[in-house]
Amino acid sequence: MLPEIILIVVCAAVIVGVLISFVIRKKKGKCSCDCGGDCPHCAGCVSGRKTDEISKK
Amino acid sequence: MKRFALAGNPNCGKTTLFNSLTGSTAHVGNWPGVTVDKRDGVYKKCPEPVAIVDLPGIYSLSPYTPEEVIARNYLLDEKPDCVINIVDATNLERNLYLTTQILEIDVPMVIALNMMDAVEKAGDKIDAKELEKRLGVPVVKISALKEEGLRELMDKAWNESKKVRMGTTVLQDTALIHLVGDVKIALEGQKVKNPLFHAVKLVEGDEIERKMHAETVNMVEAFKKTFHDNVFGNDFEALVADARYQYISGHFAPVVTRKNTDRFRMSASDKADKVLTHKIWGIPIFLVILFAIFHLTFSEDLLFLGRIFSLPTLEDLGLMAVNADGELEAIHYGVRWLACVYDGAVMSPGVILNNVWNDMLVGELFGWLKDIIAGSGMQEWAIGLLSDGIIEGIGAVLSFLPPILTLFLFFSILEDSGYMARIAFILDRMFRRFGLSGRAFMPMIMGFGCSVPAMINTRTLADDQERTATIRVIPFFSCGAKLPILTAVAGAIVAGAGIGNADLITYSMYLLGIVVAILSVLLMRSTTLKGETPPFIMELPSYHAPQLKNLTAHLWDKAKHFIKKAFTIIFASTIVIWILTHFSFGWQFLADEEIDQSILANISMLVQPVFTPLGFGSQLKAFGWVFVLAAITGLIAKENVIATFGVLAACIAGAALDDPDGSGIPYVLAMITETGITVPALISFIAFNMTTIPCFAAVGTAKAELQNKKRYRFTLLFWIVTSYLVATAIYTIGTAWWTAFLWAGAIAAVIAFLAVRNGKRA
Repeated sequence: MLPEIILIVVCAAVIVGVLISFVIRKKKGKCSCDCGGDCPHCAGCVSGRKTDEISKK
Repeated sequence: MKRFALAGNPNCGKTTLFNSLTGSTAHVGNWPGVTVDKRDGVYKKCPEPVAIVDLPGIYSLSPYTPEEVIARNYLLDEKPDCVINIVDATNLERNLYLTTQILEIDVPMVIALNMMDAVEKAGDKIDAKELEKRLGVPVVKISALKEEGLRELMDKAWNESKKVRMGTTVLQDTALIHLVGDVKIALEGQKVKNPLFHAVKLVEGDEIERKMHAETVNMVEAFKKTFHDNVFGNDFEALVADARYQYISGHFAPVVTRKNTDRFRMSASDKADKVLTHKIWGIPIFLVILFAIFHLTFSEDLLFLGRIFSLPTLEDLGLMAVNADGELEAIHYGVRWLACVYDGAVMSPGVILNNVWNDMLVGELFGWLKDIIAGSGMQEWAIGLLSDGIIEGIGAVLSFLPPILTLFLFFSILEDSGYMARIAFILDRMFRRFGLSGRAFMPMIMGFGCSVPAMINTRTLADDQERTATIRVIPFFSCGAKLPILTAVAGAIVAGAGIGNADLITYSMYLLGIVVAILSVLLMRSTTLKGETPPFIMELPSYHAPQLKNLTAHLWDKAKHFIKKAFTIIFASTIVIWILTHFSFGWQFLADEEIDQSILANISMLVQPVFTPLGFGSQLKAFGWVFVLAAITGLIAKENVIATFGVLAACIAGAALDDPDGSGIPYVLAMITETGITVPALISFIAFNMTTIPCFAAVGTAKAELQNKKRYRFTLLFWIVTSYLVATAIYTIGTAWWTAFLWAGAIAAVIAFLAVRNGKRA
């Protein structure tokens, strides 16, 4: 029965994880498009975050 | 941290320089207007890390479109520590027009003479030292593409950022300077920052400046009344522009020494354009190139050699034999590899990649995983969830990675070579008649990749009505996520019904999207979104060989995102779909053959009658609801359509799904067999998914970009109605050809009604 329990836990974690990340991304104003991270929106998010991190250091 | 802004004309290489300096992989396209928002990165080789801000390209600091406003506001309000003005050295005079405006801002500045490699290749010379002397700011020769001169550029920018620089103007020697000087003094009295810049703009009559300095406008107008020019009269915008160009040609142009002084000599790009942008042959050539791309991606008979020469199959050559189960099997492992390339016909590169990926790599891996799960001794439901649900669902989606990458490789080549910009130019003639300028076509082309950046790119359109119309039709340009639907259904039609070629069907569906977009634009621009079609002026970039670095960056991003999506959203979706199709409302577990009583089956069956006119509604046999369910799950992400088939195919086919090649086609074949869906209904299903509400991400972007709730709601309604009508038309015409006359009559009636209505109003 243990593998089945692990399977249920993992599946639940995946679904909850995807939903939470979707909500967090939306709150931060990030999108989940298919651009591969190179659209103005996504690139702005990614590069902006890096700049902030270096700036804090 | 210091901030350096990259400013320059569109397509002068700002983003290439940004990528080179920061190590980013921001999208670089060989056409003007790729960057529509600012983005930051960090350059670490200065004494301290420096934030680099890549700004959208602008021709002047008098903005007309939203992205031009972003660039202007950043330079004026954000006060960067240094502006790196990138100048396309191959078009020095025109690029310096913007430079003369940035010079008027009180900000340290360095000029980067980019594309010097192209200048030197042409045998021309630019005296950077002399230009530096005349401009009064440092000038550095660079090649952003070859990463030459970047260190010197950044060192100079670093040094300049420590200095204070006051604005200077090239209008100094003109009669206008007294007028500008008076306004400047007035603005200085009001403690306005960058007084010289604002003074010149107020003299020009810039709309933004007039709003910003409303209290000064009357005084400026009074000053202007004292001035009159014999040529331009009181057109101060033209006066200032002329003065700038006069100064540029008089003072800066002499720093260039051209090897060939014949100004009318045609370059190789000009000669190529004579053919590729021909007013008659331009569009047919574009259609042929587009077909060639689809042929190279999807055809199992490259150049139709198999049909022309009746080439023998591997079975004819004795390399395949029937095994004990009655199935055709390769006699040797090596023949399996050979079968990826040839079997009675030479496969196209896309199909070879697809076969290798699905037959030899992923198919093997997933088959091995399913064997382990089957022998794990877990309960039946757990095996079903893992094997039929998760692995089949993700596998069905991942199997389409090769055609997606192949197709986007060709699209990237078109973009990087400069041909994509020509397509906008060619289609401008056609689109203009329907109320859209060629400029609107650039975001539409981007829609072939993904609707989200395409919708954001509509910011380059100045006209609001045109922008709304463009956002609405962008999803009709089939994006990468819709490709699995097209490929799987087209492949199943060919394999199941034995008609047509997969490449031809896929190509036709792409063209259908374009035609629906044109008709929709025609309708919108004649009714709710009327307006003048703005003039289309776009600088055509020179053709150049596609850069390997750009191509690999595009493909890597695409692959990375596709795989990431498969293991997040699609992974979660397959679990949810499997659970909701294997449990009843009473929360009882259902075996594969009982999924007709599941939660999702009941919900889908409730909606199913609505899709009857489209061919995949109530007329289908048992399990027909799967098509409705797939269309609904596709609203989360379009890949879910095929993932849904993947999850449910094994259940529906009685857990005996024969999937020898690991691609998604057998899943659709299983659906065809079990539901009795017809070919017209399958094509209607593709068309519906292509034109209906796009994925969540695209819908969210449309909402943000439209910035108007009423327009957004109407856009959703527009997508639903359009997809319903298009799919119904395809199904009815495919089922009873004579209904084509009814549809043609209906379209003619609508056009006639609009013509009469518009005529009356005019």
